[in-house]
Amino acid sequence: MSYAYLFKYIIIGDTGVGKSCLLLQFTDKRFQPVHDLTIGVEFGARMITIDGKQIKLQIWDTAGQEAFRSITRSYYRGAAGALLVYDITRRETFNHLTTWLEDARQHSNSNMVIMLIGNKSDLDSRREVRREEGEAFAREHGLVFMETSAKTAANVEEAFINTAKEIYEKIQEGVFDINNEANGIKIGPQHSPTSPGGLAGNGGQGGAQGGGCC
Amino acid sequence: MFRSRSWFGGGLWKPKNPHSLEHLKYLYNVLSKNHTVSENNRGLLVETLRSIAEILIWGDQNDSSVFDFFLEKNMLSFFLRIMKQKCGSYVCVQLLQTLNILFENIRNETSLYYLLSNNHVNSIIVHKFDFSDEEVMAYYISFLKTLSLKLNAHTIHFFYNEVNEHTNDFPLYTEAIKFFKHSEGMVRIAVRTLTLNVYRVEDASMLGFIRDRTAAPYFSNLVWFIGNHIIELDTCVRNDADHQSQNRLSDLVAEHLDHLHYLNDILCLDIPDLNKVLTEHLLHKLLVPLYVYSLMKQKNVLCQNQDEKKHVSVVVALFLLSQVFLILSHGPLVRTLAAIILKSDLDIIRDGASKVLEEYAEISSNKAIAFAPPKESLEKSLENLSESQADLKESCEGQSQNDELPVNTLTKKQRERGMNEPGTSFDTTILDAPPENLSNPDQLEITIPNETVEEMKHLNVTDEEKEQRLALESPLAPQQLPNDPIQESLTNKPFLQTILNSLYCNENDYTALFGLCLLYALASNKSVNAEMLDLVLSPSQQVPTKNWYNETLVDRLIHIITLSCQTNAKVRLVTLELTIKLLTRLVMSEGRSLLHDTHLASIEAAKEQSTALLRNFYKSEDIFLDMFEDEYSEIQKRPLNVEWLMMDSNILLPPTGTPMTGIEFSKRLPCGEVERARRAIRVFFLIRRLSLTLNMEVETQLPLTNPATCIEVNNVLDLSKSYLLSSCLTGFIWGAKERRATRIYDGKYNSDLIACTVVWKDGQKIRRFLVIDVLQLILVEPDTKKLGWGVAKLVGFLQDIEVAGDKDDSRCLHLTIHKPLSSSASNRVPLLSAKFIFDDHIRCMAAKQRLTKGRIKARQKKMSQIARLLDIPTSMPHCSTPPNYAFMSMRPERATGRGHKKDQPRPMFTVNKVPGFAAQLRQDGVVRSSSGSTTPNGRRSDGSPNGRARENGLRSRDNSPKMPRPRSEEIPMEDMRLRKASLAANGSGLPSIVCSDRKDSTVSGTSSNGELALAIKKRSEETSFTSPQVQDLKPRRKGQVETV
Repeated sequence: MSYAYLFKYIIIGDTGVGKSCLLLQFTDKRFQPVHDLTIGVEFGARMITIDGKQIKLQIWDTAGQEAFRSITRSYYRGAAGALLVYDITRRETFNHLTTWLEDARQHSNSNMVIMLIGNKSDLDSRREVRREEGEAFAREHGLVFMETSAKTAANVEEAFINTAKEIYEKIQEGVFDINNEANGIKIGPQHSPTSPGGLAGNGGQGGAQGGGCC
Repeated sequence: MFRSRSWFGGGLWKPKNPHSLEHLKYLYNVLSKNHTVSENNRGLLVETLRSIAEILIWGDQNDSSVFDFFLEKNMLSFFLRIMKQKCGSYVCVQLLQTLNILFENIRNETSLYYLLSNNHVNSIIVHKFDFSDEEVMAYYISFLKTLSLKLNAHTIHFFYNEVNEHTNDFPLYTEAIKFFKHSEGMVRIAVRTLTLNVYRVEDASMLGFIRDRTAAPYFSNLVWFIGNHIIELDTCVRNDADHQSQNRLSDLVAEHLDHLHYLNDILCLDIPDLNKVLTEHLLHKLLVPLYVYSLMKQKNVLCQNQDEKKHVSVVVALFLLSQVFLILSHGPLVRTLAAIILKSDLDIIRDGASKVLEEYAEISSNKAIAFAPPKESLEKSLENLSESQADLKESCEGQSQNDELPVNTLTKKQRERGMNEPGTSFDTTILDAPPENLSNPDQLEITIPNETVEEMKHLNVTDEEKEQRLALESPLAPQQLPNDPIQESLTNKPFLQTILNSLYCNENDYTALFGLCLLYALASNKSVNAEMLDLVLSPSQQVPTKNWYNETLVDRLIHIITLSCQTNAKVRLVTLELTIKLLTRLVMSEGRSLLHDTHLASIEAAKEQSTALLRNFYKSEDIFLDMFEDEYSEIQKRPLNVEWLMMDSNILLPPTGTPMTGIEFSKRLPCGEVERARRAIRVFFLIRRLSLTLNMEVETQLPLTNPATCIEVNNVLDLSKSYLLSSCLTGFIWGAKERRATRIYDGKYNSDLIACTVVWKDGQKIRRFLVIDVLQLILVEPDTKKLGWGVAKLVGFLQDIEVAGDKDDSRCLHLTIHKPLSSSASNRVPLLSAKFIFDDHIRCMAAKQRLTKGRIKARQKKMSQIARLLDIPTSMPHCSTPPNYAFMSMRPERATGRGHKKDQPRPMFTVNKVPGFAAQLRQDGVVRSSSGSTTPNGRRSDGSPNGRARENGLRSRDNSPKMPRPRSEEIPMEDMRLRKASLAANGSGLPSIVCSDRKDSTVSGTSSNGELALAIKKRSEETSFTSPQVQDLKPRRKGQVETV
């Protein structure tokens, strides 16, 4: 599967806010949450289209690795976008946002696009954080804000795609140094003017959906 | 035919409920009928795999029979079978993701054990996927990482097969570490995560396997990988004189930091055997040969035998070593490294480099100190592991000779040694050792950490040499003290010499900054024991050397300080700040300065010089005052953080003067007159502060505005002591005209109070009193209940105002209050920008005059303060008139907080010279007594806590609940959107005075729904300003009130 760009995302936020569910919901729609089953996953990739260009999103959940400073540090640095997630039914997850954001700003490259996500919007009756509070926090810190539900899939698509759009715009503006892979952006194999090979992804494109490579 | 049937579920009907055992049975059928993956059934298989994951997770939570069936039919083997068909990434990815989902979501321990029980998972781990496909790679490594997060003392046995001594394997770990230097960053991070997750499982047998079989190959490869990275970094620095590849360099630096943090994370897990191996590798193959040896000027000494030996530039070496000491905290490693840097002399190194190799074969625990590629690639080393027993044994022997440390024997040996000589164990004994032990030469030798002793052994030191070295360094004999031991031996200690020599700023301070950083990092690393630093850095803890400090080093530091005070100095601000930071650390002991008079005199001379330098810029720029105050707040707000400094790759490039590089001001040389002035200001502040610290004095003249004497928003003011230039007020000061008139001539009024209407840009209008103080402009809202009192609603400094008349309306003024100039904030949004409408033309003109003059006076006052600081004789008379404490008297609580100001020069007096104004001054004492008398009961006692809070430097608003201010409920507390932020905080305080219910509502109103609440309040405020006040006053004032 060829793509124009590959964007690497990370998902951050307290445990139990539904990060891995958001990830699975976005990358594999097969797990439609019609049933009362919460399923999540720590990694996923999906192709989207922006401005007529194929863009591959790779999303890495950093859960469970907070114990090691080196790991969080590296993750932040290697990502072009971050979804900062809190749970609208648990106030403390909202209160911890500042700490997460500080961490992110300290370690990430300054161009990283951060989107604030208030998850579990389906549980409106148990809501502890009002929508306006999330909006205000986002405004104050210059983030894009959205309330989502990994369960009903509301806004999940939009959250990931809007973040990608913003990264894409930054690329068009020339803010991102796209030749520097450490920024979490990679140019697709055939789009790269300079590097004919050597990248990990060049070998096995054939196995993709349509193509036959058995 | 078979194929076409398979599309329809292989003949078996598909159950309606997707979450049921029946459905799993159906899926089993699908799988068993589609053994071969083909173009046609691929989609079906992927769908089936997904469904299986879903049912299993459902089963895990709801129905255990699902798992029984899955196990009974050995369904994981289907996974394997599909995998082995080289079915392309589409199916592979789904397989891996299904496994990910399974392991990620299973909560039931038993279910997890079922899944892991038949070793299928290990077979999947070792399966050779097509890792050239980045998608497969990513899913595969995520799968391994997910598994590693499931590791614990129980599950470890499913992954680590401990059958017998030689056939044990641990594919999860060994397969993963093969990707430790994968080109994809996220893969490398996942590998590191996995290794850390493995190490922290407390299983002795598994850790034994890791240490004996994999540690040496993995760590030696890792160290080689890091080293090559360093060489790339060095090349990048060398080839980039014109700051072209800042991005690349910053990546390389960040990557090195990642490595160090990773190593530190491993070391912090505190697994003794593992740490031992890792420390060995780091010291022998990276830190000493590549980092420390690069400090050596005469490289030929080291390169006698290996001419291709690699090294990096001194700058890079100092930079990297600083990072090492700032990040790593593992005692044995850090102490050894520090000892090598600070203590090893030329003879040891010269002999060592040549002789270590000769002795190499004999002492199996020793390794060459060399940055050299590992004997074989990690893959190969790991392959050897899985080979037959004989091969394995052989390779092990080979390794133990080359790479591997026979840890068991060594630790045993050490334990024995430790038992026999209690002093040798380096962890605790040294620190616990009583001081008298240290005066014993034999014991002193022991204070060198164990590994240093080892290190020295490698370097082939004879006993004589050791004694000699100790004699040179030892602080034992008091008679040695007068001689500077460092001086004597410095020439013989190449590494230390390089560091100290780097402090000379001949052409620039390029290397000096890194030398300072390294010394600072060494001094602040908690694991480096004090004894080692004794003679080099810190003041000694021992009695004979208690008041000793390293004069050579201090000489050089003071030299940097002196240099930086010169015009066109090549010392950057950051270097100066770090020098001062280090110097303070070296010579301040228990709050006392150890500095000799000569050194102290040099510092004072430098202070004079910096003052002289700044004098040249005094008034030379219009914005001098603004810069002066801004620089002061910058220095207070952002003290130097060495760890952050060492994360900035920009400092690795030669110092530059141009701001075009985007390098922040303190890390480059000044460019242009303005920046030179800024620099001079900062140098002045830094050295002044140093001088005060050394003399144990407290700063009394800075900042120019003492925040304790300023009015803040929501302060309550006694307006009755101000002259009212307002017809509006007469409304509620009943019959006061006469009285006021007399008072004016009594000399009891001393600030101007002018009524006006403030019209904001968005059309909002609010009635306020404009008060012009010595330094500040205050918008006051009068209190309705308590006559003559008001609350400050907006405060700005007169020095920052801009006044302009209105050509269409002679009663109008356009007033802008700027925020204080700040170099960090690019856009200056004014604090206030509004139109002020006065009652008539006369008052408007008066206000304009007062404001304009106020601005000039406020600035003059501060400029003369600066002049005093710089010893510039001023034409302005000092204290020719008593200070204007007008506003202090309005706020009795201030009186207590003012004590410490007595020593200060009195603020300049500003008299009201505007015609039509009458304002008088009083002596301090009068103010106090009169304020006491005019203050209503109860106010006095409130004052002190507030005053104290302010003294503490807390920007405390008057939100103390102890301050009962009877207030009208009609007048809301909040307005002035410009101060929204502070109001949100304040809102909680003042309303509480009225009643607690109100407080709650106000708080939530301002914090969450600020704008709306404010708008409503503003509206009500306007109406409330006149009428409710009047009504309120009526009962008290006998109905004499009339609106004007």
